[in-house]
Amino acid sequence: MNCPMEHRKPETLVAYAAGELDGETAASIERHLRVCPGCRLWVAEQAALWKTLDIWEAPAVSADFDRRLYRRVAGEVRLSWWERLTRTLRPMPLRQILPLAATACLLLIASFLVQQPDQLAPPHPGAGLVRADQVERTLDDLELLRQFGAGNQVEAPHADTM
Amino acid sequence: MYRVILSCGWALIAALTAVASESTVVAEKPPAQRARNAIDRWNQMSPEERERELAKLPPERAQQIRERIRRYNQLPPWEKQALRERYQKFAQLPPEKQEIVRRSVRAFRDLPVDRRGLVREEIGRLRALPEGQRNARLSSAEFRSQFSPPERQLIRDITAYFPGQLK
Repeated sequence: MNCPMEHRKPETLVAYAAGELDGETAASIERHLRVCPGCRLWVAEQAALWKTLDIWEAPAVSADFDRRLYRRVAGEVRLSWWERLTRTLRPMPLRQILPLAATACLLLIASFLVQQPDQLAPPHPGAGLVRADQVERTLDDLELLRQFGAGNQVEAPHADTM
Repeated sequence: MYRVILSCGWALIAALTAVASESTVVAEKPPAQRARNAIDRWNQMSPEERERELAKLPPERAQQIRERIRRYNQLPPWEKQALRERYQKFAQLPPEKQEIVRRSVRAFRDLPVDRRGLVREEIGRLRALPEGQRNARLSSAEFRSQFSPPERQLIRDITAYFPGQLK
């Protein structure tokens, strides 16, 4: 027989310890237990656990248990939406909230950067220097496009120059 | 707890990927949105760099540029954006066509006021027409009779090359 522990099938041993196996399977397990100290120890521990559970008695329920239980259930039902919402967060320790908050902030900043790359970008010293005469030519062209493109300024093209 | 840490990790990776791909996203925007003309780039330079460049020009001319940039920066955002987009289209024209636009607009400015209105209306009408109808109109006898040869030329040029809509 293959070792149930080596083949990761402890349920066979559980069933054996609980006395749920048929005679033939139980006999093969017993043969295996004679030669396998690991399984033997496991079955012994399992048997001890069953034995402990057999002798354990649940403590008696207090007389007003049901009354207190129903009162508590009723209290839960009466919670406002805000209490229900905050209740889910209350047990969460600060060390779990902090990474979440930090992640949310980071996501917000990232999305803002993607949407408005110009807004947060500081001036780039030395990067993309523009010559003054280049600026002047661009201003000339912009003025030309502005004056001709805007209908109400065509009749007085020099009224609002840049 | 393990799941929370794992979720945070994934979220962080997603955020960092978004930041890292910023340039890609910007590059995928329409040309008008990513357009940065010389003035925008000038505005991105530090004040010291700007003054260093202006110092290379005569003081009077430098002052004029400062003043013109100030006026440009004071335009309402919508107008600045529209102008930026129009300039982007203009800047994409080959230099010789840019020069044609400049020359045509200057010629337009030199027209008598009463002719300017007519020319402008004609340009607006032509630009609204499909190409075939536009060409038919440009070669029509009516068109020739209404406008002088220089006017016809500037109408042709502006209709063909001037970027954006004429309001």
